[in-house]
Amino acid sequence: MMNLSLLLNWLLQTLVAFVSTIAFSVIFHAPRRESLCVGVTGGAGWLMYLVCTHLGCGVAAASFCATLALAFLARLFAILRKTPVTVYMICGIFPLVPGAGIYYTGYYFFTHDNALCLEKGLETIKIAVAMALGIGIVLSLPWQLFVLRRRK
Amino acid sequence: MEDRHSVQALAFQMGETLLQNGAEISRVQETMERVARAYHVESFNAYVLTNAIFVNGRDGDEPPRTLLKPLNDSGIHLGRICAVNQLSREIAQGQHTVEEAFAALDDIRALPYLPLWKGTLACAVGSAAFSFLFGGGGWDALAAFFCGLALEPYLRLAEKHRLSKFLTHLSSSALAALLGSALFLLGLGTNLDKIIIGSIIRLVPGVALTTSIRDFFNRDFLSGTIRMIDALLTGGCIAIGVGVVIRLMSLLTGGVLL
Repeated sequence: MMNLSLLLNWLLQTLVAFVSTIAFSVIFHAPRRESLCVGVTGGAGWLMYLVCTHLGCGVAAASFCATLALAFLARLFAILRKTPVTVYMICGIFPLVPGAGIYYTGYYFFTHDNALCLEKGLETIKIAVAMALGIGIVLSLPWQLFVLRRRK
Repeated sequence: MEDRHSVQALAFQMGETLLQNGAEISRVQETMERVARAYHVESFNAYVLTNAIFVNGRDGDEPPRTLLKPLNDSGIHLGRICAVNQLSREIAQGQHTVEEAFAALDDIRALPYLPLWKGTLACAVGSAAFSFLFGGGGWDALAAFFCGLALEPYLRLAEKHRLSKFLTHLSSSALAALLGSALFLLGLGTNLDKIIIGSIIRLVPGVALTTSIRDFFNRDFLSGTIRMIDALLTGGCIAIGVGVVIRLMSLLTGGVLL
């Protein structure tokens, strides 16, 4: 079951994801007043990823759930703060982008380990597809859903 | 386009600013149409691609004309997207004359890029944080921090000298891998893979991927395809840049590396 050290680890990781997302919002010149919301979006996405992998999901499924959470928050913030959803989306997505997948694919490609190279390459593409689905589903939801939530 | 009274030119330039700074196609198109409607321009048609904008319409009694411009993206600036979004909102509420809107747009387009030291710091912090997130330890994160410190100035330099995108990605990922493995050989960090993964995150095509997905789901298939291919090529370039360096290093050091 849950124990304290696991929760603390999650907290630490979420904080780091928060910081890294803000670092990317600086690189992409997002307005400074949005930094906090951008960081929360990225942190929430990564926390969801951690929880899903802990519950035994594969990498692709965890990426899908994390993207759902992230895109949902991004849209919520976009409506609340009258800012393009792109701002939260682009910065918050970075922890989930399969950088590790790209690295291992290239690595095995050049060490002639064809089976592993193919496996990692396919995994990278699967993650990208999972993220695409997550983003697509949340962004296609009718906007009224988000406004109702706000009035409550 | 020196004509500062034309609604068509205003809408066109707003769309251009949005597109060049990383907005998705449907936002560009909607913003341009919203501006045209706000000024009661009757005939206005816009077609937007990832790398070009086509506009046809007429202003008042003037004969109809067509504007078109091929574009290449000049780097992401989300602040400008937010500002144009706000401006188009105000225009739709009737707060600006065309001349005022042009002045506001000029201010938006003059919004500065980050000073080098800030960008470098952000890149370094980002690299370190991602190295940690992907399972690296504190020392790995420190090594990634140093790689990030070198990477951002290199990217700026490459941009200044108009190095092609392809070569930029190839060489900068190689640089990140080279620095990472050099630090690793000097004894900083314990997992070479985590160090390099953290350092290349700055190069990974996250923006192209996200925007491409959004274009696809908005049924802008052509633009989505352009961006998707961009993302795939960038990813491939990074993988090759890193892979070659790792292979070379392991040949040179007789397989000491992971």
